[in-house]
Amino acid sequence: MELELGLALPGGDLIAELGLASEKSTSMCRKRGFDDMFCRATSPPLFVQKDGDDDDGEDDDSRFNHLQELNLGSRVLVGWPPVRVSRRKSEEGGKRRVNCVKVNMEGVAIGRKVDLSLHDSYQALFLTLSQMFPKKQHDGEESDAAYYKVTYEDEDGDWMLVGDVPWEAFSQSVKRLKILN
Amino acid sequence: MVRGFGWAAAFPDEVWEHVFSFLAADADRNAVALVCRAWHRIERRSRRRVFVGNCYAVAPAAAVRRFPEVRAAAIKGKPHFADFNLVPTDWGGGAEAWVEAMAEGWPHLEELRLKRMVVSDDCLELIARSFKNFGVLSLVSCDGFSTAGLAAIAANCRNLRELDLHENEVEDNCLNWISHFPESFTSLVSLNIACLEGDVNTSVLECLISRCPNLKTLRLNHAMPLEKLVSLLQRAPQLVDVGTSKFSADHHPELFSKLESTFAGFKHLKSLSGIWEAGPTYLPAIYSVCESLTSLNLCYATIQSPELLKFVSRCKNLQRLWVMDLIEDNGLIAVAASCKLLQELRVFPSDPYGVAPPISLTEHGLVAISAGCLMLHSVLYFCRQMTNAALLTIANNRPNLTCFRLCIIEPHTPDYISQEPLDAGFSAIVESCKDLRRLSLSGLLTDRVFKSIGASANRLEMLSVAFAGDSDAGLHYILSGCKNLRKLEIRDCPFGDKALLDNASKLETMRSLWMSSCSVTLGACRQLALKMPRLNVEVIDERRGRPLESWPDDFPVEKLYIYRTVAGPRSDTPPCVWTV
Repeated sequence: MELELGLALPGGDLIAELGLASEKSTSMCRKRGFDDMFCRATSPPLFVQKDGDDDDGEDDDSRFNHLQELNLGSRVLVGWPPVRVSRRKSEEGGKRRVNCVKVNMEGVAIGRKVDLSLHDSYQALFLTLSQMFPKKQHDGEESDAAYYKVTYEDEDGDWMLVGDVPWEAFSQSVKRLKILN
Repeated sequence: MVRGFGWAAAFPDEVWEHVFSFLAADADRNAVALVCRAWHRIERRSRRRVFVGNCYAVAPAAAVRRFPEVRAAAIKGKPHFADFNLVPTDWGGGAEAWVEAMAEGWPHLEELRLKRMVVSDDCLELIARSFKNFGVLSLVSCDGFSTAGLAAIAANCRNLRELDLHENEVEDNCLNWISHFPESFTSLVSLNIACLEGDVNTSVLECLISRCPNLKTLRLNHAMPLEKLVSLLQRAPQLVDVGTSKFSADHHPELFSKLESTFAGFKHLKSLSGIWEAGPTYLPAIYSVCESLTSLNLCYATIQSPELLKFVSRCKNLQRLWVMDLIEDNGLIAVAASCKLLQELRVFPSDPYGVAPPISLTEHGLVAISAGCLMLHSVLYFCRQMTNAALLTIANNRPNLTCFRLCIIEPHTPDYISQEPLDAGFSAIVESCKDLRRLSLSGLLTDRVFKSIGASANRLEMLSVAFAGDSDAGLHYILSGCKNLRKLEIRDCPFGDKALLDNASKLETMRSLWMSSCSVTLGACRQLALKMPRLNVEVIDERRGRPLESWPDDFPVEKLYIYRTVAGPRSDTPPCVWTV
């Protein structure tokens, strides 16, 4: 018998399968919201922007949200894999800190997300962006990374042109990106 | 020949005491104590070291009373799975009861080591005040205290030699706790503050280091900038064990050469750790120590493979290597070629939750190590794929393995070539490695692997199982075999009541059993508790609601922790824990 995995408390499915217990305890066991989320096949990293401008990602749960969204088929289980995670500040120093920011292109409805921790320079970032938002050829103009005007919103809420500050400083203060046409 | 046990009186007590002093192992001393009353008396009065593997297995007062002359105590609290947040934070493991009993009964205590316990600042203050000759404090994976508690230790323990803080959750409310070491304090031999998050006053630390000529171990925390680290280390060229702070900074040729000359000055360095966030810039500065290193911990260093490879392959005398999977198969192949004295390897996942593109670390790396490192006996390996063939090769290459912990990150992963369960592979491990003491399983596994383990793993003491097995038979095989099993921890397996009840008496021969997300019902727990009065059967359920008594027998148990004890049910259970 396949063991159903998920963040739902274990009693629910097992009880149903083993034919035990009452309806009452089954409903007590089930955390429906999470179950529905994790038992579906997860989507590739392309997200429909439901509500353009709000800042929903950046709270204490932001890392967890990233895990859910960037879940490539394996479910998020409590305490698995068995690595020690500090309850205070997880992944302090050393471990790779996933740093995902939303990217929108002017005039394009569907936004993307890019993980800045996988990039070590502006060049690398522009390459990724040009792959995410390929430029339509028009009038024989060549498409290359340099033509993009990319702006970013920093931690103070100001919109700045990407490329002015050292990469390290940028990657730590950037909240989201916008590509201008 | 004197008849009966009268021969014990043929020698004065001091002679027997002297004889017993050659028995290092607790098991031997325990055996001696059972021979006759005289030996029991002599042994207990002369025992100097006590190890309590489960703080609830015996009442503190009883332990202190039985062994009045103890100088060194080690106590463990929470179950191992607490490391992975499976145990509620308020479950227990508080140190107060023990510290209070020890303060009263062991005034000459010199060493105290606590693991996975909740230690309050009050506890630390009591320790600081109660033991005049206190020399060693080691706190591993503990929580509940702050740097204010550490200040009390620093201020009052005049003869402190070792302060070892390893992976604790410490609240930072006393920034200058290091300055509480008095000016007259010079006895420090080992200081490990790697787990502290806050800044430490570098100049105070420099003074401390300068006046402690016997300092051999210094492990700093992440917060200290590289320049400060360098000036600190320059004061202690006699160090044998160094844990650096953050190892990255913008490139400055002057800093580079200072770092280089500092490390070149370490004539006795054997162990290196820390190296947080190291980049390729500064790592070459410390190549000079590679040859002498026997222990290297790079599991906080996000260095990519080429630099990592360059560094590690210079460490020809390495015995212990802890590293991230960023080393990749190529790196491990290089290690297998260069580090012929390697005994212990741990490879940690740089990206456990799979959000980044996969790393090229597979079963090949481990196979290479098993072939090239003849002295390898301890392995912890996180990877994403495995085959039975690879495990078989490893088993044949390294029958001297004593610890084999394999974690294939995705649960239920089969042999990726044959698509079969990994039963054959793990069976080969337990059949070939006759001295295996610790084993962690992962991947797709049926009941068959448990049959092999039960039959062959005669020296196995600790077994960790997750997402494995088909039925109760799996658990039954383990509990009815594995003669020396002490700790068993299981999560998300279809193991239930029958195997548990059929093997109830086995549980009293073990230290503890943890089962979570399995198929055990409350009724079985009740039966077990009734049948085995010397076991504490703790049902842990964080949903709370109605008290345990009102739940029906068929109620599924979320988490179960069973341990043998002579102290009866504990009195400090939180709301989410019921002793059945």
